[in-house]
Amino acid sequence: MKATTLALALLPVSVVPSLRGLAAQDPPAIRDAQQVLSRLVETYGVSGTEGPVRDQVKALLPTWAKAETDTAGNLWVRVGQGNPVVVFVAHLDEIGFRVTGIRDDGSLELETRGGFYPSLFEAQPALVHADKSDVPGVFIPRDSAFTRHTPPSLRVDVGTTSKEATMARGVSPGNTITMPKQYVRLAGTRATGRSFDDRVGSAAQLLALRRLNRTVLQHQVIFIWSVREEIGLDGAAVAARALGTTPRRVHAIDTFVSADSPLELSNFGVAPIGRGAVARALDNSSVTPRAYVDSLVRVARARGVALQVGTTNGGNDGSVFTPYGVVDVPIGWPLRYSHSPAEVIDLKDVVSLADMIRAVAETW
Amino acid sequence: MTRLRLALSLFLSVSPTVRLFGQDVDRLAVRFAGMTAVTGLERAMTDSLTALLPGSTRDRVGNVTLTLGQGEPKRLLSCPLDEVGYVVGNILPDGFLLLRRVGGARITYPLFDQQLEGHRVTVFGSRGAVPGVAAVKSTHLARGRGTSGSPDPVFTVDNAYVDVGASSAADVRGLGIAAMAPVSLAKHPHAYGDRLLAAPAAGRRAACAALAAAVQAKPKVRGTVVVAFTVQSLYTGDAGLASVKALLGPFAETKTASVAARYVDTAVETVALQDAEALVQGLVAWMEASP
Repeated sequence: MKATTLALALLPVSVVPSLRGLAAQDPPAIRDAQQVLSRLVETYGVSGTEGPVRDQVKALLPTWAKAETDTAGNLWVRVGQGNPVVVFVAHLDEIGFRVTGIRDDGSLELETRGGFYPSLFEAQPALVHADKSDVPGVFIPRDSAFTRHTPPSLRVDVGTTSKEATMARGVSPGNTITMPKQYVRLAGTRATGRSFDDRVGSAAQLLALRRLNRTVLQHQVIFIWSVREEIGLDGAAVAARALGTTPRRVHAIDTFVSADSPLELSNFGVAPIGRGAVARALDNSSVTPRAYVDSLVRVARARGVALQVGTTNGGNDGSVFTPYGVVDVPIGWPLRYSHSPAEVIDLKDVVSLADMIRAVAETW
Repeated sequence: MTRLRLALSLFLSVSPTVRLFGQDVDRLAVRFAGMTAVTGLERAMTDSLTALLPGSTRDRVGNVTLTLGQGEPKRLLSCPLDEVGYVVGNILPDGFLLLRRVGGARITYPLFDQQLEGHRVTVFGSRGAVPGVAAVKSTHLARGRGTSGSPDPVFTVDNAYVDVGASSAADVRGLGIAAMAPVSLAKHPHAYGDRLLAAPAAGRRAACAALAAAVQAKPKVRGTVVVAFTVQSLYTGDAGLASVKALLGPFAETKTASVAARYVDTAVETVALQDAEALVQGLVAWMEASP
């Protein structure tokens, strides 16, 4: 049986029943959030190769939306007219690896794209995103076990024994590598998957656009799905440069890394999952002026949207707009186990985040 | 069609002793590799085996046995079907599960438990399989907190907090989860290369798949062959195999099916399915041959 036939044989065990089994009992808003989010989560797009995710976002836009892609690869949708211009930005990319070389034994040398524990990929299935198709392999386990999170440089075995055989499978330096991923529903309204950061933000912008009442907009609102956030906010920097001092505010729609876990300290990052979106008042890249946080809270209260306020770690795309005099008011949603293959969210927070984006666009 | 292919197909069509095992064993290996059989708690997999192999029965210990042929000599052909895994040891008030490992004295991979960290698991509750994850510290929140040069100890099962999406112990019980529920890494058998199969315990599962495929090939057994898929090979001194010998023996000869594997004891333990196919042929030949 060739690999393709074997792959077909794998299908029955790969499709685990009830992964989305509770969807039929869900309220419509939760069902919509899951439908959009699961499609984005199950699409691959390591920093610099976001094309497939961008295509999914375009396919999920409302029919009236006119999307443009800039030279960096960011996707833009403009709605409404006039000042003050307000920008929302969520990023398309996910963490992963890139092939840097092919050894004589056929194995692949890698470099990381973004910040994460490489050990979480060690001894796991691998997918090389080659030019023509994905090539499966495995992340080679290490021989010793002296540290938890810092294995020697990881390599990938694609089942070959020579450089030529590996290249014959279509693999070449520059290809990106991830592991197979799946959106899986947990108990209640919770779900797990990899790359919720920032597919949740991308999904929330889509959901907000779908429900947006364009007739009440009092100024232009720009929705951007950015590239290369995980490797230095690169895409957002291009967008910020293009817009200059024009926008009044930017709302980075990105993860609020939550300490809602028995493994974390609770001195910051406290925003339990399931209790709504989070005003990301302080992180490693931005401090939101208090008056803007208060305004955000007022918008939430006026629209009856659940909103928490907290401080966390990490950077956000909005921070590269601030040198142009644009105020960064990031909004997130609580996430457990960030940048791991098993991130956990609550779909209620996705709904809340989308409602918050819509409320801000329509009323602030 | 080339002359050689034509000759081969004609030969296969008229020769009952030459059988093609490849597709059968590939399908069975994938199927078995997707199952979970934590040592001592193998019931779900043995249920599948008894359904798959008509005439097979489960003995009092849990082994699945099938007797082929009759008369002397009486021989035993077996494969161990269990795996090192986990059970729920405690349920915390906030809905997280704590684990206890079952088996593991023979584990060769020093990071066996660490494979749980930040990965999907399946909890086998009384109301069915429940997906969950083993918690891991968020990368972002760890930044700037570690002391440079400080050791980063290897993860053990004592560090494992399983999150099934529940908010309370009552939520967990509502999912049918109680202490002793089996837990394993989520199984997604992964094909790569040229008929390579990666999965936890892939070597054991490929061997059992080869044994099942050999039985399904309906070999003309000389004498009696007891085929046994044994439990508890990784706990209490291979109790399953010992009990088969005690209950159904004595045997003139015994053979244990095995397939070579690499990346042993990892989530990507890998077997070459052509080795499993060759094993099927070897097992059939063994059953048909005079001792």
